[in-house]
Amino acid sequence: MNEPVLRVAQLQKIFGNKEVLRGIDLAVEPGTVLGLLGANGSGKTTLIKCALGLLRPTSGNIMVFGEDSWNLSAAAKARLGYVPQEVTSYPWMRVRQVLAYTAAFYERWNHAFVQTLCERWHVPLEDRIGSLSTGQLQTVGIVLALGHQPEFLVLDEPVASLDPSARRQFLRTLLELLQDRQQTILFSTHITSDLERVAQRVAILGDGKIRFLGELDELKERVKRLRFTARHDLPTSFAVPGALRCEVAGSHATVSVANFDERLVAEMRQTWDADIAVNDLNLEEIFVEMHDGAHV
Amino acid sequence: MVETPAIFEINPNSGVPIYRQIVDQVHAMVAGGTLREGDLLPSVRQVAQNAAVNPMTVSKAYSRLEIEGVVKRARGLGMQVLPPSENGSLDDRKAQFRTTIEPALHRARQLGLDSQQIREVILSLLQKTQSDVVTGGSPVTDPEKKATGGPPVAT
Repeated sequence: MNEPVLRVAQLQKIFGNKEVLRGIDLAVEPGTVLGLLGANGSGKTTLIKCALGLLRPTSGNIMVFGEDSWNLSAAAKARLGYVPQEVTSYPWMRVRQVLAYTAAFYERWNHAFVQTLCERWHVPLEDRIGSLSTGQLQTVGIVLALGHQPEFLVLDEPVASLDPSARRQFLRTLLELLQDRQQTILFSTHITSDLERVAQRVAILGDGKIRFLGELDELKERVKRLRFTARHDLPTSFAVPGALRCEVAGSHATVSVANFDERLVAEMRQTWDADIAVNDLNLEEIFVEMHDGAHV
Repeated sequence: MVETPAIFEINPNSGVPIYRQIVDQVHAMVAGGTLREGDLLPSVRQVAQNAAVNPMTVSKAYSRLEIEGVVKRARGLGMQVLPPSENGSLDDRKAQFRTTIEPALHRARQLGLDSQQIREVILSLLQKTQSDVVTGGSPVTDPEKKATGGPPVAT
C-alpha cells in the first residue's frame, strides 16, 4: 500500500567512457520530501533525468508509480510534475498562451490554482516568453509544473535564478502543498538552507554514489565537529574512529566525525587527556565536511 | 489560552535539528512558567507556516513531547500542556546530572585543581544557588526575619 513513488535500484549511467552514476539505490516514499545534494558534476541532473525516463539508464532498474520509468504510461506521466534546471518554452508565445496550451494536455488542470500562483508570483501574463528574465522564466516553469496538481513533483535546481524573497514564497507554496495534499517531492538544489526548511530526508551524491541517505535530523545528530585541547602535544598516533576530517596542530585538534557518540567522546577525553568541545554543524557545513573529507 | 505561533524561535539553518529546537524550547517554557498546565501549543500548521518549515517536522516535535509526557493530544483542541512532572526516577536524574558534570571535573583537573579545591568551588556554587532559590521562592519562609535572628515581638 505504501509503495514508494520512486524506486531506483543499482542505477548505472555511462556517457562515452565516463561513468556518471555508479550504482545508485534510493526510494522516495509518498508524502515525503527528499532533498538531493551534490557537488557540480556529481550526477544529480543525470539521476533525475533517468528517474523521469528522459535518459536511458546503462543498467539498473527505475520504477515510478510502479511502472518502468523508460516506458511510462500517459496516466503515470499525468501524475508527474517536473521543473528542469533550464526551462525551455516557445519564445514567440505570450505567457497566457503557453499556460492555455499546456493546460489543454491535462485533464486535471486547475485553472483557479494557476491564477492564484500567477498573481502571487507576479507572472507577466501578456509578455512573450522570449522577453522574460531567467528568474521570470523559471517562475513560469514552476507554474507549468504545478498546474495539473501532480502527485510527484521533481525539482532540479528550481530556485537557482530566483531572488531570496521569491524563493521564500516558492518554499511557502511547497509547504502548503505538503500540508494540504501530502505532496511527494524530489528536490535537487545547491541552496542547503532551503533544504533544511522543506526536506525530511536527504541524499548526498558524490562521485556517482550515494554518500548518505536518511533523515536530515539524523544527519545533524550524527555529524559533529570535535575540538580537542590536550594538556600535552598530541602524539602522531592520534586518530579518531569514523573521522571525516582530522587536523592536528600541537596540542589542538579539530576532527569531524560521521558517527557522534557521547560515550566515545568521554573515552577520548581519558585516552588523550584532552578537553573536548562538541560543535553542531548545519547542512552546508556537513556537506563541505563530507565533500572535502572525501578528497583528502 | 492559545499561544501565538511566534512563541518558538526556530532557526532552520542551525546545526540543531528543528524538531529538537521546538522540544527544547517547550521544555524551557514549561520550566520557566511561560507555559502552564492546560495551555495549548500553537497548531502544527501555524508553526510550520510562521517559520516556513515542513509541517512534518513540527508534528515530530509534538509527538516527541507527547511521548515525554509534557503535553497531551486534546481532542478538537490540539496539544495541551500537562502538569509538570519529575523527569524520570531519582537514579535517572542523577545519571543525567553526572554526564553534565563529568567534563567539567575533567577540565578542573586540567587546570590543576585538587579534589579539595574542586569541592570548595562546588560548595560555594551550591550555597549561592540555594540562597537564590530561597529569596526567589515562595513567601512561606521569610529570609530577612531569619537573617536578623530576632525573636518576634510578642504583645
